[in-house]
Amino acid sequence: MTGAGQDVGRSCILVSIGGKNIMLDCGMHMGYNDDRRFPDFSYVTQNGRLTDFLDCVIISHFHLDHCGALPYMSEMVGYDGPIYMTHPTKAICPILLEDFRKITVDKKGETNFFTSQMIKDCMKKVVPLNLHQTVQVDDELEIKAYYAGHVLGAAMVYIKVGSESVVYTGDYNMTPDRHLGAAWIDKCRPDILISESTYATTIRDSKRCRERDFLKKVHESIERGGKVLIPVFALGRAQELCILLETFWERMNLKAPIYFSTGMTEKANHYYKLFITWTNQKIRKTFVQRNMFEFKHIKAFDRSYADNPGPMVVFATPGMLHAGQSLQIFKKWAGNEKNMVIMPGYCVQGTIGHKILNGQRKLEMEGRATLDVKLQVEYMSFSAHADAKGIMQLIRMAEPRNMLLVHGEAAKMEFLKGKIEQEFSIDCYMPANGETVTVKTNPSVPVDMSVNLLKREMALGGPLPDPKKPRSMHGTLIMKESSLKLVSSEQALKELGLNEHQLRFTCRVPLQDPHSDSETLHRIYTHLKSLLKGYTIQHLPDGTVMVESIVVKVSSSAEDANAKILLLSWSYQDEDLGSFLSSVLKKGLPKM
Amino acid sequence: MESSEFEDALDEWFIESLTAYKDLHVYQLEHPTQVIEWTSGKTVCVAGYGSSKNQLLELRLPLKLFAEENKGLCAERDFKLLHGGFSEGPVGCLRHVPASRLIVTNDGQGTDLQVWDLGGDDSDVIRRTGTVKGRESAPQRGSRIAASPSSSPQVLHGAESSSVQLTHLTSGQSLYKLETDTSDPLNSLQFTSDAVFLAGCSNGRIYMADTRVSAAPQMSPPPASSGQSAVWWTDATADPQQASCRVVRLSSSGHAVVSDLRKLGEAVCQAQLDIHCSSDNVTVSWAPRRNYISVSGFSGVVEIYDTCDWRMELRRVRPLFQHRGHEVSCRQADGCDPVCITAHVWHPERPQTLLSTATDGSVHVWDWVEPDSKGPESKSEPSL
Repeated sequence: MTGAGQDVGRSCILVSIGGKNIMLDCGMHMGYNDDRRFPDFSYVTQNGRLTDFLDCVIISHFHLDHCGALPYMSEMVGYDGPIYMTHPTKAICPILLEDFRKITVDKKGETNFFTSQMIKDCMKKVVPLNLHQTVQVDDELEIKAYYAGHVLGAAMVYIKVGSESVVYTGDYNMTPDRHLGAAWIDKCRPDILISESTYATTIRDSKRCRERDFLKKVHESIERGGKVLIPVFALGRAQELCILLETFWERMNLKAPIYFSTGMTEKANHYYKLFITWTNQKIRKTFVQRNMFEFKHIKAFDRSYADNPGPMVVFATPGMLHAGQSLQIFKKWAGNEKNMVIMPGYCVQGTIGHKILNGQRKLEMEGRATLDVKLQVEYMSFSAHADAKGIMQLIRMAEPRNMLLVHGEAAKMEFLKGKIEQEFSIDCYMPANGETVTVKTNPSVPVDMSVNLLKREMALGGPLPDPKKPRSMHGTLIMKESSLKLVSSEQALKELGLNEHQLRFTCRVPLQDPHSDSETLHRIYTHLKSLLKGYTIQHLPDGTVMVESIVVKVSSSAEDANAKILLLSWSYQDEDLGSFLSSVLKKGLPKM
Repeated sequence: MESSEFEDALDEWFIESLTAYKDLHVYQLEHPTQVIEWTSGKTVCVAGYGSSKNQLLELRLPLKLFAEENKGLCAERDFKLLHGGFSEGPVGCLRHVPASRLIVTNDGQGTDLQVWDLGGDDSDVIRRTGTVKGRESAPQRGSRIAASPSSSPQVLHGAESSSVQLTHLTSGQSLYKLETDTSDPLNSLQFTSDAVFLAGCSNGRIYMADTRVSAAPQMSPPPASSGQSAVWWTDATADPQQASCRVVRLSSSGHAVVSDLRKLGEAVCQAQLDIHCSSDNVTVSWAPRRNYISVSGFSGVVEIYDTCDWRMELRRVRPLFQHRGHEVSCRQADGCDPVCITAHVWHPERPQTLLSTATDGSVHVWDWVEPDSKGPESKSEPSL
């Protein structure tokens, strides 16, 4: 873990699986201004470039806490291997990274940061992914993307090397939105499921209540004659809020105008196309029904409208009020307490959005001018994350063998860990930043079996193979090059050109018996015959008794004819019976 | 109901809620709860009542609800799960021991109580710390519990009037036993002061006793009512000034009677509420420091009544406010039981805030607007 362990703000996870090294996400910590905002790549290697130490990098979605450090990693630390992400992520990432770079370098004057060219060079290394399509990274490593919901293009990733697999969720949500579906994955049974758990200890307020709050605030402002500014990113949330307002305006028969800024349409149409191929049938229908930005009550904005008297609502880009049209409008409207600005998402440090969300009421603008912020500032969070219930739902879907929770606080997740361990009987880990977790897997090793051995096993009865009744068998495993073969011991010896050793045991049992040797032998024969029914017992003319293949002989001492010595001899295969016989005979013979 | 019809009805209710409520939060628990108990001004405990293993949860209410200045800058609308634990059986009753981190539960079937430590900042696990033995061995239902408002950790508990006792949690010692002639199943146990308590029986009798005194309790018979086999529920105001402590009794046929604590036998006022069926999870509750009574458990609606409208003569009354959120949000498949409220509580300090839970696992936090202040609508008209 080089980030996202018990830390909200930066995701960067290193996984070693089947000899392959994979980096999952490469995020920036938005709370720090120094090098702490970057993941610590010395965990990969102390010696500069990462190319030789990583097989691939996978980015789950375009949020900066998941991809913000990517150009730094690939161009300043150094990585030339493949970077995987979905098509929409590939389209949107560079825009956000460039915006972020501008704010950090141009506005805040930082120097140790990536350049525009670095962003471009980084994106050249990107290999785009489609949903549910298996991609071979190399001979042994394959990956597959699944729909994660959360934001446009967000994916959960299934990674497989040999018979071991990992699923990384990135950010996801299990309850559908108006414009995004819920995450979905099949019963892929990964060895580890790595899930974000920022909201694992929350129970999310319903989407409808959030929307209600939004409508209430907008309505209250409009009623008192105020103007409402909603800074947005071009697609996704903006569309959803537009649909919401349109429906509300229609029902309440409201007359105040609603506008969207022109910058939105071009970007929107571009992303619209991406969006349509990306989302599922149900979501697609919503957009096909209503043509993008063809609303009854919502019209295109012209900058001169900002000075019009009376109430109005305007959607304008960019989303953090750091430049462009939304900032221009904000400057005009900030001085009137009847007005309102609704921030529908997180704002990066250094932006006006971030400042006003922290309660700042006096802002320093260009040329030392100050702006008094008198309008009402509302922060609303519409982002969709999985809460406690959502995580349990995902585990039920994927059926992992082990669980790994990242992006949360360990002391506050013991209960969730207990819940998971109890309901699913799987281990749950919660590593901290810099901590390594080793998870034992039970990989199944496929082995060829010789026909002879198979026939022999089948003769013992029962169908083969029976997945419900694993069977143990005797054999010899031959590993030649990369093949594994199970054969019978005889065949193995033959192939190796070795002779099989024969092992024979001999046992001497003293016995007192006042008869002749041959009479004693006969007595032994009768005794064993009555005791061991069902066994082949023979009294042979050469003066031995045979029990199966065990040989019994009698001899007597020269000094004392009654002191008999019984000699038992058996081979290794008859060990059990031989031991039994010797213990029986040690007890002596029954009286005549 | 058609999907679009359901969505339309839900949208309609949400539009109405814009003026009917100041704040509204809707949550979905994994499993429904029958209990909501305040453990502080911002936290509550809930617990499942399924047949096998259940979860106990301590939840913190959304911060946005409490933000006074700069409310707009607070985006936190979610419940925060502070502590969680597992119970081997269902939880039918849950009480917090004041000035401690202990809660006491009963499974709704036997009379033994389980004692739990909610835990502090260092861990989020609720741990079982002990058991309190009950007197009854085969009760008709589980024990009711009341936590003593005094500074030492003591709980009053019992399933029937003849088996109520006060137990000290730390020592396990029985400090007091209620002795009654008959054994009536209880619907409530409640302290009205440090040592005085009411035992509300389901047949409508109320026993009032003082735990410091071994004298026989005062018994108040059920109010005269048409339904002989009616079941009664009781609640007393939690007003520290004993002088104005009132008691309300509600029957399963909808007859509600308000009395003064000092004269339980006399009705101060009464009313006929529009209630049809009986239920196991009825809650009748006084609003803190107000003359409002809230009722739930008969349907998917929580109703608030203004007792100032009630008279000595029995008359039908309509609720001042109805919270229909659970009923409207629950999309039941055909043939299934409609959703029913399992519990509701008033916030101890915020006068308009309530929490309610239902059989579908939903939990609502709502801050309702007095119908008067909404405009020309009169108080006797329900707002929805």
